[in-house]
Amino acid sequence: MKKKIMSMALAAVLAGSMLSGCGSSSDSASAGELNIFVWTEYVSQDAIDAFEKDTGIKVNVSTYSSNEDMISKVKSESEGTYDIIQPSDYAIEQLAGQGMLEELDKEKLTNLNNIGESYLDPSYDPGNVYSVPYQGGVAAIAVNTAKVDQEITGYADLFDPSLKGQLVVLDDYRAVIGMTERSMGLSMNETDPDTLSGVEEKLLTLKDNIALYDSDSPKSALISGDCSVGYVWSAEAALAMEENEDIQIVYPTEGAYVFMDNWAIPKGAKHYDAAMEFINYMLSVDAAKMNIEEFPYLSANSKAVEAMGEEYSSNEAKNPPAEVISAGEYVSNLDTDTLAIYDEMWTKLKE
Amino acid sequence: MSRNSKRKAKKARNGIFCGLVYLFLFLPISVIVVNSTNATTSKPYLSWKGFTLDWYVKLFDNTQLLQSFGNTMIIAVVSTLLATIIGTIGAVGIYRYHFRGKGIINGLLYIPVVIPEIVLGISLLTIFSKVNIPRGMLTLILAHVTFSVPFVIFNVRARLSGYDKSIEEASMDLGANRLTTFMRITLPVLAPGIAGGALLAFTLSIDDVIISYFVNGQTKTYPLKVMESIKSGVAPDVNALSTLILIATILLVVLTQSGIFSKNKEHS
Amino acid sequence: MEKAHAKHQWRSNTLPALLTVGPVTLVLVLLVAIPLIYVVVMSFCSIDQYYNVQLQFTLDNYKRLVSANYMKIYAQSILIAFVTTLLCILIGYPFSYIIARTQSRRKKLLYMLVIIPFWTNSLIRIYGWRTFLGTNGWLNTVLQFLHLTKEPLDLLYKQGTTILGMVYCLIPFMILPLYTAIEKLDGSLLEASADLGAKPVVTFIKVILPLTSSGIFSGSIMVFIPCLGYFFVSDILGGGNSDVIGNLIERQFQSGNNWPLGAALSIILIVITLVLVKLYQRMGGDMDSLGV
Repeated sequence: MKKKIMSMALAAVLAGSMLSGCGSSSDSASAGELNIFVWTEYVSQDAIDAFEKDTGIKVNVSTYSSNEDMISKVKSESEGTYDIIQPSDYAIEQLAGQGMLEELDKEKLTNLNNIGESYLDPSYDPGNVYSVPYQGGVAAIAVNTAKVDQEITGYADLFDPSLKGQLVVLDDYRAVIGMTERSMGLSMNETDPDTLSGVEEKLLTLKDNIALYDSDSPKSALISGDCSVGYVWSAEAALAMEENEDIQIVYPTEGAYVFMDNWAIPKGAKHYDAAMEFINYMLSVDAAKMNIEEFPYLSANSKAVEAMGEEYSSNEAKNPPAEVISAGEYVSNLDTDTLAIYDEMWTKLKE
Repeated sequence: MSRNSKRKAKKARNGIFCGLVYLFLFLPISVIVVNSTNATTSKPYLSWKGFTLDWYVKLFDNTQLLQSFGNTMIIAVVSTLLATIIGTIGAVGIYRYHFRGKGIINGLLYIPVVIPEIVLGISLLTIFSKVNIPRGMLTLILAHVTFSVPFVIFNVRARLSGYDKSIEEASMDLGANRLTTFMRITLPVLAPGIAGGALLAFTLSIDDVIISYFVNGQTKTYPLKVMESIKSGVAPDVNALSTLILIATILLVVLTQSGIFSKNKEHS
Repeated sequence: MEKAHAKHQWRSNTLPALLTVGPVTLVLVLLVAIPLIYVVVMSFCSIDQYYNVQLQFTLDNYKRLVSANYMKIYAQSILIAFVTTLLCILIGYPFSYIIARTQSRRKKLLYMLVIIPFWTNSLIRIYGWRTFLGTNGWLNTVLQFLHLTKEPLDLLYKQGTTILGMVYCLIPFMILPLYTAIEKLDGSLLEASADLGAKPVVTFIKVILPLTSSGIFSGSIMVFIPCLGYFFVSDILGGGNSDVIGNLIERQFQSGNNWPLGAALSIILIVITLVLVKLYQRMGGDMDSLGV
């Protein structure tokens, strides 16, 4: 009996290792490795494969669903676990403030001139010391017009009780609470505790409408028909629209949640040079095009946007219009006490 | 006559009830198998686009998926081996020897079994983080050994109660030293318990989600890779791999079943 | 003479004892006891503005956790766990009874058929339920095709869906101990009871139930406790709407970035677990029958 078990186990190991051996036979013997930690559904695997082929550097990909997840993991893992991260605007501020980012050697970024002027030298990283912009966008509303009768024009409409159990929203507390604040005409970075208790009241009225929290692929719920309205990243709306003609994107009249994500290198990264090479490659027009095609967000790479042509630049969902961006608001860092209030609100919402 | 038809009715009722339960158990399995043949190629892979077996071939191009499966296999085998050895000798030692702290050890053994996995997971994460052990294969193996050892010990202990020590004494009187006695007398008696514990440890390891989620660092195990896929949409190749694993385990079970029968015949 | 013999016994006993019990002790102390102690310590720590853990004593974490919102979530978790356990018993007991006492030659096969599904990855099976129950999923497609329903049934992302997922994941932990306990039933006792004039219901309540109670108790513990921590089920099927305590803990270690709060939540979970285990022992549960 024991022998049988042993031989079974042995067979299983052989089978397993053969399978995995088959897979990793294309493993290049250390031309180097790179560990990247990026948003889910954000960086094209084709682009990564092309980089691997070109340079022989093996890229290990891990993903996260929110800035908080990323910061948490970077802190809890030992220094140098990740070579590349993609913090959003306020996250760059947070990380740089704690000295957790490496300075970028701009001489190595020969493709930096592909990035549009307006995206450089942002307030969250003056002089682009720690980061270069990648893609950004809007947290917009997606509506399945075949299933929803009423007109939806802004965040406030999401609170309509007739939308009970119909909503898919981002699993991101700053995004959802921020949206509530915008719907009330407040800033997404409100700190006054009294005002915030009013926000909490409004927020909790949304509870019954929310069927699903999903930051990774909210388009799935829209495409599958499980949800008829979504508070989702703009590209998710764009992709849902491609799968189902009835789905349309709505930029809220109150002014939207706007974001810009960036490439950055955490302090103590083990493969700094490879990381710089990777960032430079991602700044190239070819790589940027691959990324935009698969994940159609607002691209900071103006040369790539030109190369994408009319089809992309005229698509309002893929390439949010400039007015929407300027009417929108960016999330910024808040102090721990205020964030504790936000956290409590979020817990109350999710119970 | 009515008694017979009553019995038949009862049997039919029982049959239907069990059938429904089996249906419940196998429903998701059938979804997985069917979805592995979905010809869809666009995320999130929800709509049915026709039947195809292509994904079973494309599966082998998915290096990341295969590697995660390989990782899971290695972790399962290594941790099961370690847990079985540690557990077996531990069970024997606890049973046989009296020492201070025996009660504490016995109490501690119940903790990984009874406590929710998430508590084990985070406690290991915090200690690994404090002591600065980088999370990866090593921590995964350590974690899996931790939750497997008690199961091995309980299974071996079950065989130990009612075990007659006098055989061992006889063996030693006949000149065998402790080690030989252990290997040739004690071990064979404990074998079914050891095998049961090992099998349980292996099963728990390959499907472990919660504990691995916290201590894996960057290493992807198969369950964690599946978790990742669920976030972006499960491609049919993941379904294909699951189907293949299912077929493999069914074959293994069939083999052991026939194997057991022949072994039993020899013994009796 | 006896003294020397005793001394020899002791000396020749320590080394083997150390060798055999040493490794287990090492594992238990280093990987179970010390980490848990560290978690307790951490639950009393605070965090600085950058979410780094400070070794500064505070009761703030616990104060937060006994507030009304959190109490609500504990209650919801316990309710979900309770319903799940109840359903597992109601479905699992008759099922185990029929299978364990069947005279069929295929008994072993029937037993294996219960275990085989659970050798497929649990996450992907839970995801299978999502595909099955979705608005355009299998169930709705079939029901609408057969004209049994006009509108698709909204079954996903509800508390009930989470419970379904939990029952699905945990029912084997109920079935297996029940099977073991029921198999040990001596058929002659049941015959005797019938011979003495007891109706089947009475036999069940007075003979079968007490004799198989150990199975029910150990099954219940092995279902109830994990249920409190299975965050992935409520994530995938509940849509993130029906949080259990496990979700709270997971969030503090992920996006919440507040390890001390997560540690305190874990301690609360441990306390709930201990209470349940004490209850189990009080009701006559045998600790050794768990996990075998």
